[in-house]
Amino acid sequence: MIYLDNAATTKPDCECLDKALKYLKEEYFNPSALYAEGYKLNKELRSARENILKTIADTQKFVLEFTSCGTEADNHAVFGGGKRGNVVTTLGEHSAVYSTVNELKRQGTEVRFAELNSDGSVNIANLLSLIDDKTSLVSIIHVNNETGAINDILTISREVKAKNSKALFHSDGVQAFGKIPFRLTQNIDLYSVSAHKIGGIKGCGALIKRKSLVICPHIFGGGQENGARSGTENVFGIKVFEYAATKKYACISENFKKVEEIKSALWAELDKSLFTRIDSGNSSPYILTVIAHGVRGETVLHEADDLGLIIGTGSACASNEKNRYSRTILACRIDKASADGVLRLSFSPENTVDEARTAAQILNKIVSHRKNIMA
Amino acid sequence: MEKVIILRYSEIHLKGKNRCYFERVFTVNVEKSLKGIKHELRVISGRYLIENFNENSIDEILSRLEKVFGIHSFSVAYKVPSDLENIFEAAKTVCQPYGTFKVDTHRADKTFYLNSPQINTEIGGRLLELYKELTVDVHNPLQVINIDVRENGSTLVFGKFLKGAGGMPVGTSGKGLLLISGGIDSPVAGHMIARRGMTVDCIHFHSYPYTNMQARDKVEELAKVLSGYTLGTRLNIISVTHIQEEIHKKCNGEFMVTLLRRFMMRLSERVAKKVGAQCLITGESLGQVASQTVEGMTSSNSVVENLPVLRPLCGFDKDEIIERSKKIGAYEISIQPYEDCCTVFLPKHPVIKPTLKSVLEEEAKLDVEGLLKEAMSTLETITL
Repeated sequence: MIYLDNAATTKPDCECLDKALKYLKEEYFNPSALYAEGYKLNKELRSARENILKTIADTQKFVLEFTSCGTEADNHAVFGGGKRGNVVTTLGEHSAVYSTVNELKRQGTEVRFAELNSDGSVNIANLLSLIDDKTSLVSIIHVNNETGAINDILTISREVKAKNSKALFHSDGVQAFGKIPFRLTQNIDLYSVSAHKIGGIKGCGALIKRKSLVICPHIFGGGQENGARSGTENVFGIKVFEYAATKKYACISENFKKVEEIKSALWAELDKSLFTRIDSGNSSPYILTVIAHGVRGETVLHEADDLGLIIGTGSACASNEKNRYSRTILACRIDKASADGVLRLSFSPENTVDEARTAAQILNKIVSHRKNIMA
Repeated sequence: MEKVIILRYSEIHLKGKNRCYFERVFTVNVEKSLKGIKHELRVISGRYLIENFNENSIDEILSRLEKVFGIHSFSVAYKVPSDLENIFEAAKTVCQPYGTFKVDTHRADKTFYLNSPQINTEIGGRLLELYKELTVDVHNPLQVINIDVRENGSTLVFGKFLKGAGGMPVGTSGKGLLLISGGIDSPVAGHMIARRGMTVDCIHFHSYPYTNMQARDKVEELAKVLSGYTLGTRLNIISVTHIQEEIHKKCNGEFMVTLLRRFMMRLSERVAKKVGAQCLITGESLGQVASQTVEGMTSSNSVVENLPVLRPLCGFDKDEIIERSKKIGAYEISIQPYEDCCTVFLPKHPVIKPTLKSVLEEEAKLDVEGLLKEAMSTLETITL
C-alpha cells in the first residue's frame, strides 16, 4: 500500500508509541492527584508542554494549552478571541475555523472573509482592507489544508498589527507544525497545532498562546491547563505528541528536502495532458493538489484504493458534507467541472521517491481510462 | 400477580379453512421476533398469550411485537387465580384512580360462582369505594377494566388495547423482490407489501467507483430497518457501472435513466427467478421524477417478461411517503446525502415521455444480453 493522504492523518510513530506505552499501562495515575505517583505525572506533563512549545516558540513568551484536537484549539481561539466588534478570516480556512466563525456570526458578531489567490493563499491586500479598529480577531490558516499554499503569517501578522494593534492574531498551524521551519513572533497571539499530523495519535492537540494573553476558558471543570481547559489530561497522547514533535523538529530541514523531492518526482511523472496543479511557488512540499480534468475525484480515489494507492480529495473532514464542491477550491476561482476532479496527494518523510513515481503511474492509468469512458 | 401479554390477530379469522395455515405462520413469526428473550407462547381460543418472561424485558418484548405484521392489538394483563380478592387486587393495579370507567367481564368458566354482570358490579363497586375520584360511565368510559375468567382457574385482568402493526403474517402471501435505491420511497414500498403478508427480499444496484461505500452501507441499513418488520431479508447487490458507461458512450444521454431502468428490471427479474420471488416491487410514485411517468413505466415494464410489478406508492404524494418513512424508522437513514447510482451520468434534460420506439432504437446500440450477463456475474447476496 502506498499512503499519500498524510494531510488527513499520519501513521503514528511506533518508536514514540512504544516509549510512551508505560503511561497507559503502568503510570496510569491522575496527574492532578496529590500522591507522589500523580505528582510525578504532573511534572512529566510540564516537561512535555515545554518540549513541544520550544520547537516553535520562546518558552518565556508563550504558553501551551493541551486540547483534544486541532479543531478544539481553533474553537477556543475563535470563541475566546472573537466576541466583540468584527472578526476577519479567509474563505480558505479549514472547517474548524470556518464553521466556528459562522457560529459567531449566528450569535451576532460580524464576520468578514478575505478572498483567496488562485493557489489558495489569502489575498493580503484584500485582507488588510477588511481590518478596522473594531476588529477583535484575525484568523489565517498557516498552510492551506486543501491546496498546500503557505500564508506568510509572519508578514501578515505584522501588517495586521500595524493596522490594529489590539486585534488578536490567530493561525491554524495544523498542516505547518513539524513540517515548515518557522518560529512564532510576538505578533502572533494564538496558534493551533495537532499531534496526529506528525506521527502522534488522534485525540491530542494544543493551542499556543502569547503569555500575557488571557482568553475565556471554554471547558469548565477541575481547572486543568491553568483553568483554560478543564478535563483530565490525556497523558499518553501528550507524551507521544512530545516525542513525535521533538523527533520531527530534530530533522525538520532534512524532512522538508526529502518531501520536496517526493513531490517533484510525483509531479514530474504525472501526465501533463491529464493533470494540472493548483499550487504556485510558495506551497508546502507536503501537499500536492492537482486537478484531473473531466473525471470525478472520488471515482479516482476509489479506483486508486483498489490498486493499493491511498489519496485524498479535498479535505477529508469535508468529504461527508452535503455540498459536493470544496468551498476552498471554488474560492480559488476554479470552475465547478474542474473542482470535481481535485485530488490531494500529501506526503510524509516515510514515503519514497519510488512510491511517488508508482503513484503517478497509477493515477495516469486511472485518469486516462476514466476520461476515455466519460468523454 | 404475574404479568402476561395478550395478542390478538387481525384478518386471520377471515381465512376460513386456511386459518390453520395462517395461524401456524403467525406463531412462527411471533416466536422469531422474540428470539433471545425467555418466554412461553400459548394459544387460547383465538388469542395468544405470552407468559413466563422476565418483567424487566417487557418493554423490549412490546417494542418487538409492535413490528410483527398480523397482530391487531395487544394488552399487558395480570394473571391471577380466579377468586374475587385476587381479581380485585389486579383491577386495583390496572385502574387509574380518576375519571370515568367501566368493568367488562367475560366468563368462560361457567362454574365460577358469579356471572359476568355480577362480577362487573362487585369489582366496580369496590373500585368506586377505593378511589373517590372515579365515576362510572358504561357508554363512553375513559377506561375499561377487562376481566377474563378462564376455564383453567385463572383470570386475566387488563386495561388498554395497544394497536398492533396490523396486516397479515409475513410469509403467507408469497415472496417479492424489492428494488431498493437508498432513497425515501423504496423502503416504504417494501414495508407496505410486507404488511400484506409478503416475504420481501431486496435488490440494489451500485456504480462503484462512481458511488462510494457509504452509499452501499446506507442501503444495507435501510434493508436492516425493513428486516425488522419482515423478520429477516436478503439483500442482493449488483454493479451496473459498466452498463452506465456503455449507455453514456453509445446512446443519447437523455435516455440514460430510462435505459438504465430497463436493465435494472431485467436484472431484477433474473434475480427474482433465482431466489424464488413471484413479483417485483418498486417505490415508483406516478409523476414524481422523469422516469416515473406512465410512459417511463411502460418502457421499464415492457422488459419484464413473466412477473407482475407492484408499485404500492403510485398514488401517494411525497409528503405522505415521508410520513410513512418516518413512522417505520427509515427516514433518517434515507436522507443521508450519499449518491446512489442514478445520479452519476445524470443528463441535464432527461426524456420525460419516452416512446417505446425511441427507447428501442437507443437500446439497439448496446449489447444488452452481454451486459446483463456481465452484471449478473457481480451479484453478491447478504443475509440480514
